[in-house]
Amino acid sequence: MGTALAHEILQNSPGLTACLLGNLAIVRGALEAGVQLCTCYPGTPASEVGDTLGRIAADADIHFEYSINEKVAVEVAFGACLAGARTLSSMKHLGVNYAGDPLSTMPYVGVEGGMVIVSAGDPSAITSPNEQDQRHLSPSLFYPILDPATPQDALDMTRFGFELSEQTRLPVILRPTTRVCHTGGMVEFGSLPEKKREIAFEKDPSRYVPIPINARRMRQELIERYARAAELLSRSGFFPRTGEGKHGIVASGVGYAYASQAIHDLGIADRVSLLQIGGYPIPGRILDDFVRSVESILVVEELTPFVEERVTLAAFHADRRIPIYGKRSRHFPLAGEYDPDLVEDALRTYLGLAKRERPAVPVPDLPPRPPVLCPGCPHRTSFYYVRKIFGKQTVYCNDIGCYTLGYGEPLHSCDLLLCMGASISQATAIARVTGERTVAYLGDSTFFHSGLTPLANAVTNGDKVTVIVLNNYVTAMTGFQPSIAAQADAPSPPVGEGRRSAGLSIEQAARGLGVQEVFSVDQFDEESTVAALRQVKTGDGVNVVIFNSACVVHEKQLGVYRKRRQFAIDQEACTQCSLCIRMLGCPAIHVHEERFYIDENLCEGCGLCVRVCKQHAILR
Amino acid sequence: MERSPGSCRILIAGTGGQGVITAAHLLADFFVQRGRKVVSGQLHGMAQRGGAVQATVMIDCGIGPQLSSGGADVVLGLEPVETARALPSISSKTTVFMNTAAVIPYLLSLQYVLGEKSAHYPSIEELQQAIRGATSRLVVLDATALAKRAGSIRTVNVVMLGCLFGSGLLGIAAEQFLDAFMRTAPPRLADVNRQAYLYGVESGESLAVSKEAQ
Ligand code: SF4
Ligand code: SF4
Repeated sequence: MGTALAHEILQNSPGLTACLLGNLAIVRGALEAGVQLCTCYPGTPASEVGDTLGRIAADADIHFEYSINEKVAVEVAFGACLAGARTLSSMKHLGVNYAGDPLSTMPYVGVEGGMVIVSAGDPSAITSPNEQDQRHLSPSLFYPILDPATPQDALDMTRFGFELSEQTRLPVILRPTTRVCHTGGMVEFGSLPEKKREIAFEKDPSRYVPIPINARRMRQELIERYARAAELLSRSGFFPRTGEGKHGIVASGVGYAYASQAIHDLGIADRVSLLQIGGYPIPGRILDDFVRSVESILVVEELTPFVEERVTLAAFHADRRIPIYGKRSRHFPLAGEYDPDLVEDALRTYLGLAKRERPAVPVPDLPPRPPVLCPGCPHRTSFYYVRKIFGKQTVYCNDIGCYTLGYGEPLHSCDLLLCMGASISQATAIARVTGERTVAYLGDSTFFHSGLTPLANAVTNGDKVTVIVLNNYVTAMTGFQPSIAAQADAPSPPVGEGRRSAGLSIEQAARGLGVQEVFSVDQFDEESTVAALRQVKTGDGVNVVIFNSACVVHEKQLGVYRKRRQFAIDQEACTQCSLCIRMLGCPAIHVHEERFYIDENLCEGCGLCVRVCKQHAILR
Repeated sequence: MERSPGSCRILIAGTGGQGVITAAHLLADFFVQRGRKVVSGQLHGMAQRGGAVQATVMIDCGIGPQLSSGGADVVLGLEPVETARALPSISSKTTVFMNTAAVIPYLLSLQYVLGEKSAHYPSIEELQQAIRGATSRLVVLDATALAKRAGSIRTVNVVMLGCLFGSGLLGIAAEQFLDAFMRTAPPRLADVNRQAYLYGVESGESLAVSKEAQ
């Protein structure tokens, strides 16, 4: 590179090829389209889209924000496109649910500048509580949806998405999945625009205000605009057909990448016709031509049989009684992501080829390596004290963040989990029907994302709920994005700077919502922590404890970390009671030949184990 | 199975914090700069929290982002159990490089104190044997010791890359990768990284010799 560019994807060098992560290819596509405003709420597997945009925003002259939640992210991006800007909003698949309200009316109102919503899917729920298929939003809410198979698709489709959006006045959804987002693949750069769109908001209430009388007119117009999307898609080049064989294969998303790889590896290109479905609504003409030209069809798509149903309908309308295979025929499973073996096996069955010979290699029993709270993580200390005071019987409602790892052994701090912000509502419900005080855990980011409304609801109802806000000043789980929670709550000096916003106070927010009892403490300070917890346990109605301590890993990244102390276990004093591991599950403490040790490279010196050890065997 | 000449599918396996993804990036960039077509996949749910991490680097192999079973030409195993976890991708054609230094999963200690006394970390011999059941091309080295000797335990990934290039398996002179690597390495860490790489190359060369002698 050699230039002073902040990032390689800012190069204006059309024709250059590079190996780009799918998420970065999306950003490049948006840059080539001259995007002017971007919003995001972090979520795996989409996080790198927002993170990269944030990093290059100033150089690329883009307005960028980490929004407080996906609803706001979408609303801000939509508002800006009404003033003529090209905008992009990025989130994980579940983000569109939180943004469901604005999403459902935005197509009615329509855009001026193009708008692309990136909503990254997670087949097999690798980092999510479910594997929802967002493609159904296309027919139900009238969204054109683009479905990339590779990083090159991701780039091209993002860029095209803005055109498509402007020509139909519909916001467009780009739906990559984990294997596209987190795959590096060859992409060819296009050129960056010399000029961006003019910004001007022109008042026209009948155009922008969907009161019923306008909404009914808009709904009529949507019929034509959605049909126009299909027509534009048919000329987009995102439905390539290869081969003239009588065995038809229709594939979408990463399923297309697997299918074309398997066709190549099996050397069956002359026997099949492969059609990629690059978007929705699938243009009728394309399916019609395809069903007429083949003798059978295998549909390769992850999640629900969305394309399969449309292919079946197309065959029906074309009066073609040909076999259509896919999920219904059990060539493919109904749930979970696909992989190359699955697709190759299905292709072999479909074409009547011999089953693949796979020498059975015995795999020994291997110890699993699940994720665990880091050594020194402040959440462990919070969980420990809360359980110490509130006991085993209390119902602990957890939320989405690193602290979900309080689940199971040994911390037992996650009895319920649903979605962002649900900890407080669920704690409310259990408390109301059982009459027992419950505990809700959520982090700083989640608190502002969707914790304020259920907290207000609990206050209104006077529920016996203790809300514990685990404020570590960062959105750790998705890659350490800045959180808007304030240093204002911090009893200790700020943990570095730079990416931190001015900040909002969780404490003041809770008080503002009418919570009477609010404590803001450092959980590493035993005295104030235990005092606060004793108080709230016997309190009335809703009360709140904010635990303020920075995420260790984030402090290290910021270069402000200093190891507090170094601990070791005195082998003379240790009775092998195993309490430290059984209570805390700190990965720095381990057993080796029946003796207990602290790994000096892993220990962060948080000091929690010292308090747990009754033998005083853990020393500096 | 058809493969275009010169194609190569590399799987890198390790644990969070070992630099699996970084190693994959370095390899991918290197081959792209040589005009090759690269596809590189990552799987790393919550790598930061110590989980298992795998990444693929597939050179001139088409657009598929994942390996099929037995599909790896090379496995770089940064940790013994994680190397064995890659067995589904290993066939008799695969060359496996395995670091023998274990990173013991924390879960084993927890299981132990909870009374599951049988939970244990398999012996390195056991793991080697399992891999030998799939391929005779297994080379082992203590990359962690070499990384420490070079000055930082965090360079295990670099030692392993050195070993890969030193072995001559890819038919590319080890210096070529080193040159490219040094152009991108942060100056502060350049010396440690170079040393780690060279230790890896050295062991790769000697291991390759002993393999020929077999
Ligand atoms: S990343 Fe930070 S918040 Fe998350 S588990 Fe580690 S220390 Fe805790
Ligand atoms: S002081 Fe104890 S609990 Fe804290 S990181 Fe070190 S070993 Fe773990």
